[in-house]
Amino acid sequence: MLLDKLFSKGRKEQVVIERITEHIRLLEVACEEMRIGMEGGDLRRIHHVLRLEREADAIRRQIIAAVYEGAFLPYLRPNLCRFAENVDRVFDAIEETAYCYLEMKLPSSIRDHCLRIAFYNVRISEMLLISFLAMLRGDRLREKTLAVRIYEKKIDDLKLEIRRKLRSLPVEGFWEGKALSDFVTGLTSISDIVEDASDDLHIMHVSMR
Amino acid sequence: MWKLLSGLFFGWSLGANDSANIFGTGVATGTVRYRTAIGLTAAFVVVGAMAEGPKCMTTLDALSRISSMGAFFCALAAGLTIATLTVLAIPASASQAVVGAIVGVGLLSGTADLSPLYKVVACWVFTPVAGAVFSYLLYRIIERVLNRTVRSITRRNFLYFVGILTAGSYGSYSLGANNVANVTGVYVSAALLTPTAASWIGGMSIALGVLTYSRKVMTTVGKGIVPLDPFSAFIVVFAEAATLHVFTQVGVPVSSSQAVVGAVVGVGLVGDLRTVHLSTLGRIGLGWVMTPVAAGALAAGLCHAYTLYGRIQTP
Amino acid sequence: MKLTEFMTTNLKFVDAHSSVYEAIEQMVDYRIRSLAVCISKEKAEYGVITARDIVVKVMSKGIDPAEAKVGDIATTPMLCTDENATMHEAAQIMVDNSVARIFVCGNGGPVGVVSFIDLMSAALIARARGDHATR
Repeated sequence: MLLDKLFSKGRKEQVVIERITEHIRLLEVACEEMRIGMEGGDLRRIHHVLRLEREADAIRRQIIAAVYEGAFLPYLRPNLCRFAENVDRVFDAIEETAYCYLEMKLPSSIRDHCLRIAFYNVRISEMLLISFLAMLRGDRLREKTLAVRIYEKKIDDLKLEIRRKLRSLPVEGFWEGKALSDFVTGLTSISDIVEDASDDLHIMHVSMR
Repeated sequence: MWKLLSGLFFGWSLGANDSANIFGTGVATGTVRYRTAIGLTAAFVVVGAMAEGPKCMTTLDALSRISSMGAFFCALAAGLTIATLTVLAIPASASQAVVGAIVGVGLLSGTADLSPLYKVVACWVFTPVAGAVFSYLLYRIIERVLNRTVRSITRRNFLYFVGILTAGSYGSYSLGANNVANVTGVYVSAALLTPTAASWIGGMSIALGVLTYSRKVMTTVGKGIVPLDPFSAFIVVFAEAATLHVFTQVGVPVSSSQAVVGAVVGVGLVGDLRTVHLSTLGRIGLGWVMTPVAAGALAAGLCHAYTLYGRIQTP
Repeated sequence: MKLTEFMTTNLKFVDAHSSVYEAIEQMVDYRIRSLAVCISKEKAEYGVITARDIVVKVMSKGIDPAEAKVGDIATTPMLCTDENATMHEAAQIMVDNSVARIFVCGNGGPVGVVSFIDLMSAALIARARGDHATR
């Protein structure tokens, strides 16, 4: 066990890093699919998002298994696992958003704002990948986490505006209204969770400085 | 030869207690497995004792002339004192116990030479200080070097792992080299053993303590220390090892527990953190006074009792 | 990085014939510092009214905001840039004209507004992303 760890020079760690990178890349793809699907009303893209979520779930299990098998110092393991869990929570939010989108029709009055949030979601997930790679290299994360917060703030502003408009929208019934409300909640919560994940990265960076 | 038994007991309890200072944090955080840790510690303690153990024995030898029975009582008194203070959670020093016992027995027989005592006491006082200075400097230097050379998180992860193992092995080596004199040094003074034989037997007894009874102390001490990040943990052990090694060259056995406390303070100074409570420092101060006095009084008392018993038996 | 990526799309319009009081109401309600003034939708003529205009030209002079018309104090024409402009170009226009915001206009009129804070955020993000999107 000891010699294996010494001579592999971090092969286990490499596996974890590859999986996490794949996990975040997948997140970026899912956000992009969601955006394109919403923009063109292409439901195949939305169904693809649901498939991506299942794939991401498998990757998360692989990451956590590899960490518990002894990759990385125990000091870092809880943070790594929490990061993977948070990325997975982002996928859960996207999945929920996709399901709601399939159940409802996006009102034209909030369509532009929603598309813009979907676009920022792509950007913010891209930023998460950039932050993760920077953390691996040991680069400073300050400006990366700040960028994530800026996107989050922009989405927050749009969320406020959408809420304002939603109140004046007529709904056909309870379930239609609920789907619409859940859709907006899901779409706008993605950036919040990405922000949590980016904080995890920052903690890992500081703890291994 | 049965007189060696008290030394073996003393070595065993020292091994059981002090090994926690070396791999304590590593084991408690799960970085190093317990079996790996005790294996490395035991092996390097013996190597250190064999290689540099005799260096500290001459200092103890100079303190007083001791009979073979006196040696038995010295080791016994020191062993009992350490065991008691460990129960009271005072980071007690085996060196202080032994020196106290030797001086106590020496005073009783009138052969005590207190002039080398100044050097010994000065070294005791400087042990935590040296630990703090070493850890502060090592932290600053190694941190600067690492920040320029190794930045990747996987490489650092690997480096910290190797670092903790290396520093732990070096710490075990220094512990063996420095503290074996405490265990069997008195028998060399009493001309019961040659320095080589004393190093060998002392090293083995410490190793035995590490292998058989260190788990409890290792897990509790490790978790009792402030939560250290891997880098700080590595520096603390490294500084402790360097401190013990330096005092081995001076020829004075010192306390590994106090070196560790000093090193933790030193790491705390870098980040401007209060890593050690004042009460811990107070307990060390208490230990400084209590350990030698208690061990000395106990050894002298045992010797006196034995002499009285002898007088009753002989007529 | 393109300007459209960073502009604020949350634009509010006010009619040139509306009272300044209505403009104030909108600004406070939405917590924004400027409104696009619609002079003529057919000719795509637009102006701008800012919080500064209202304070300097109306309130400090003791004029009743309910009496004053937006069209009288608005700055016209609206300072515009097209959707393909870069951050750097937008910043240059703002400096040259000494204004705090610039509107991004498409074919049908203004679609967004870019302020100092938007430019600064964009610069930060470009830096974090490691590309040279500011130029």
